Amino acid sequence: MAVPEIFNTIEQSGISIWLRESQSIFGFYFILLFHTIGMSLVVGANAVVDLRILGVASDLPLRPLKRLFGIMWTGLGINVTTGLLLLTAYPTKALTNPDFYVKLSFIGLAVFTMRRMNLQVLGGSSLSEAAMIAKGKVMAKWSLVFWIGAVGAGRLLSETSRYFFYGHPAGG
Amino acid sequence: MNYAHLHLLLNHFPIIGSIVGLGLFLVSFFGKNQDLKRASYIVFVGIALITIPAFLTGFGAQQMIKDGAGVSDALIRRHESSALLSMWFMEVTGALALIGLWQSQATARPSRWNVTAVLIFSLLSVVLIGRTGNTGGDIRHPEDQTGNAAPMAEGTMKDGAVGAFLHNFEPDPDKFSEAMTFSKWWWTFMMAMHFLGLILIVGTVGLLDIRIMGFLKQLPVAPLHRLLPWGLAGLGINIATGLMAFAGRPDNYIFSAALWLKILALMLLGVNAVAFYLTGIFGQVKRLEAGEDAPFSAKLVAASGLFLWFAVITMGRYIQPLTDTLLGTN
Repeated sequence: MAVPEIFNTIEQSGISIWLRESQSIFGFYFILLFHTIGMSLVVGANAVVDLRILGVASDLPLRPLKRLFGIMWTGLGINVTTGLLLLTAYPTKALTNPDFYVKLSFIGLAVFTMRRMNLQVLGGSSLSEAAMIAKGKVMAKWSLVFWIGAVGAGRLLSETSRYFFYGHPAGG
Repeated sequence: MNYAHLHLLLNHFPIIGSIVGLGLFLVSFFGKNQDLKRASYIVFVGIALITIPAFLTGFGAQQMIKDGAGVSDALIRRHESSALLSMWFMEVTGALALIGLWQSQATARPSRWNVTAVLIFSLLSVVLIGRTGNTGGDIRHPEDQTGNAAPMAEGTMKDGAVGAFLHNFEPDPDKFSEAMTFSKWWWTFMMAMHFLGLILIVGTVGLLDIRIMGFLKQLPVAPLHRLLPWGLAGLGINIATGLMAFAGRPDNYIFSAALWLKILALMLLGVNAVAFYLTGIFGQVKRLEAGEDAPFSAKLVAASGLFLWFAVITMGRYIQPLTDTLLGTN
């Protein structure tokens, strides 16, 4: 399958070149750093809610943990922003890598689960704690699976790329 | 100040510390003194932490002196082999001691299995780290080599009966490095685990820190603190995967200023933990119910802890771009 020409156009744009090649400490690695911090916020906060629903620290009141969703959405916002910037820097490398779509699918599923948990488990103010836990148990398990999948697929990206740049296959 | 100085500065702590820790532990054993036992456990944890930079600076010291006159590569490799074994025993002893300290919160004493495990691992650690120190001293303490100024060759290297026996268990540095890097899948697995560890730390320790700082005050502190073993498990995963990655590709790390700043931040987190647990701050905050505010000193310790964790993450991310910032400076 031919690599779309638009990837090349993006790669040759000023912002893409700056993101890749700038020696400034606010260049590529700064964005990667915030991508990591965003990940730790969204997955860390979500994992705590998941673990609590699955029985860890069972005397921790569940309802106030709703506030953690604010941290999760902040983390997600950071990562959508920084993710788009990283994609601007290396469009061909990311979008020709099947693993990139695996990662996005895991994130999609994890965020969908996170939203459902927010609305249906912690959002329903009429539910008792026991009812919240009964309702959230399956979601919590899948949430952990999806996030582990997303992080694992993310770390695999650099090992599975087929192209470094437009017209430059990896391993060539 | 260079790596060799730093290595010499740090490398006596694991040896002396593990002997002091074991001494306190044995006395507590016979005297049935639980406070003394806890003190010995704290020493084991602290020493496990200091062992990390002691181990890491060894690679830098090796780079510095390996081409020097009168320095035997075989002796350096024997020392490195020994360190590659003893270091894990020091870390496992520290991890077991941490588990024991956690257990002794509720029951005032660690469990029986934990005491047995600490006894076995701390004894082995003292023997192994002693051997590491001894082989390290052989590299460059000419006064100790009975007038034989010429560097020893591999074949003439003398080990005592104990040393020869221990050498059977010591991994060859090249083989260890090869085992860490032969497969990109294993390397990726280690890095993914390093990230999952990071997530566990930020999720649990970070959450506790921001609660103490005054955010999310609806949460009582004691149950939040019960999440901590998950964060400590994350720390354990990250120390293990971090040390394996470092020993696998030391040249990627030793010349990066970011790596040393990361390790410095990690050591300061040890100081932060002492400030939290050993000065009465923890005793004050663990009683905080929903809505109650922590004292200022507790907020300060929590905020500096959170800052240091993010410093660790930041420096970790900058290891790669700063990979040769220290080349040629020593």
